[in-house]
Amino acid sequence: MTAATRTDSVELIPATSHGWTIGLANLLRKEFGQWWTTKLWWIQTLIWLIILNGVTTVIMLDSSGMAPEELVNEAVQTFFLVGATAIGIGIVLTLQGAIVGERELGTAAWVMSKPASRTSFVVSKLIAHFTGFAATAIVIPSAVFLVTAAMILPQPVQYGPFATAMAVMGLDVLFFVTLTLALGCLFKGRGPIAGIGIGLILVGQFFKGMLPEPVVLATPWLLGDVAASFAIQQPPEFNRLVPVIVVAMEVLLLGLVGIWRFNREEF
Amino acid sequence: MESGATESAIIDIEAVAGTTSSPGYRAQDVISATGLTKKFGPIEALSGLDLSVPHNSIVGFLGPNGAGKTTALKLLIGLSRPTSGHATVFGLDAVRESNAIRARVGYLAQDPRFYTHLTARETLEFTARFFFLGSKAAIRRRIDETLELVGLADKADRPTKGFSGGERQRLGIAQAQVNHPDLLVLDEPAAALDPLGRRDVLTVMERLREHTTIFYSTHILDDVQRVSDHVVILNRGRKVADAPTSQLLDGGCTYDLTVRGDAGSAKARLRGQPWVSEVSSTVNDGGEHITVTVTDQEAGDALLLRTILQDDSVAVTKFGRKHHNLEEVFLQLVEGQQA
Repeated sequence: MTAATRTDSVELIPATSHGWTIGLANLLRKEFGQWWTTKLWWIQTLIWLIILNGVTTVIMLDSSGMAPEELVNEAVQTFFLVGATAIGIGIVLTLQGAIVGERELGTAAWVMSKPASRTSFVVSKLIAHFTGFAATAIVIPSAVFLVTAAMILPQPVQYGPFATAMAVMGLDVLFFVTLTLALGCLFKGRGPIAGIGIGLILVGQFFKGMLPEPVVLATPWLLGDVAASFAIQQPPEFNRLVPVIVVAMEVLLLGLVGIWRFNREEF
Repeated sequence: MESGATESAIIDIEAVAGTTSSPGYRAQDVISATGLTKKFGPIEALSGLDLSVPHNSIVGFLGPNGAGKTTALKLLIGLSRPTSGHATVFGLDAVRESNAIRARVGYLAQDPRFYTHLTARETLEFTARFFFLGSKAAIRRRIDETLELVGLADKADRPTKGFSGGERQRLGIAQAQVNHPDLLVLDEPAAALDPLGRRDVLTVMERLREHTTIFYSTHILDDVQRVSDHVVILNRGRKVADAPTSQLLDGGCTYDLTVRGDAGSAKARLRGQPWVSEVSSTVNDGGEHITVTVTDQEAGDALLLRTILQDDSVAVTKFGRKHHNLEEVFLQLVEGQQA
């Protein structure tokens, strides 16, 4: 044993985490690294700035004789309604291979051959992707929206209600991140993941008005409306707490199903 | 050539098949498995494997493609769950305590894959962080030492995306031993390597023997013969041999002789001995090659050469107990089972 190795043995402290958190810190570091030390973060930011702020800036600039309050409401509603749909689609498309791809490439088996729990593997992706999308698709575009609105609109946007709306959008992001990862744990291929994820969004877009209210309330389809209603301070016809609570429970359920399934995975 | 004198290795299959014990083989086992079975639907990939791997040994795990070697290795480190049976590593249950097992194991997959955007150094740092919390400098030192060991120091900062199969294999070996594991489980460690790479891997394995137990699967029989203390052979999911390498290669009661001159009367004399069960021979340029199988090894050692040398017309140029090579043993065991 060399002197350097002896020094290493002193300085290298064995990792001490237990239970489901084994390997979590390291996996989180890797997942965050994939978001923030590669070009992923600025590509995502650019996409959402173009989609969300591009559309709303055009609306702000084209007042078409609308009253000031009406114009503010129009811009805010568009921001959240377009956001709820577009971000969901973006998440499903971006994350459809997050689990399946690793399984196909063999990197999941490699990581699972180390002292890392399977729960850590899924949870690290959930946290990192939620944080990444929340920052690039909600926080940054919202900040840009507020700056643009302050410069263009004749009436200020109320920051408090707008922040509440952002939190609702955060739940929307969390739902689609969890759904996509859970589907990745359940299916072997990308097809069913993209199909179910995007299908859910499109069904909501086209058939929301035709389906019974309890069904609609049990989906994330109304989260855009809920967010917009908070931002413009106009309560909708339905109890807006219902979709928020139901979707939060669905997030929990999907997360647990995904983790349960991944824990049964054979590599 | 005499009738029935085909030169074939006569291996005492009974002596090695199913053998699980040798002196000191159980008490200090790192790996212990009993009746380990894995089914994929109707297919039984592994059938009732009993296995013991002692401390600080190098155990070669042999078998044809599809024999169940990779399945067995994955069961031991918790990548897969057994359909029935039980395995422990360091006395820890391979299903319930697999995280604790993996904290002390280095594993190399058959076709190792890594995150392609990471460099070799980053890959090893990521791996090391599963095991250690220590300072960055200490981890960097360990990684440099490991990269040097596998000959990747000059490629340390290249993304693994552009790595050849051999370079990926070297990185695989590096990541498997970056934590200085108590047990190395290697699935075909030399498969993608050129002869120099293979030699290096074997050298590394021999060097690690002092601190580490190595359990590895391979198709390269020469490598097993060179470095392994113990050999386990698997065929169609079943263990067909489990013995120390020396025992497996030992010809036992078979002797090889090469003689010059007329050996006809010597062979007739041998056949007349009660302790000789079989005599066969072939003739070539170097003389007559005789294979003698005896029923009593002590008698063979003491009397065989004397019996032949009673005949003045015969000169013995080579004499000794037969030693098989692993390929002979492997083929006979596997083909024997298939027959």
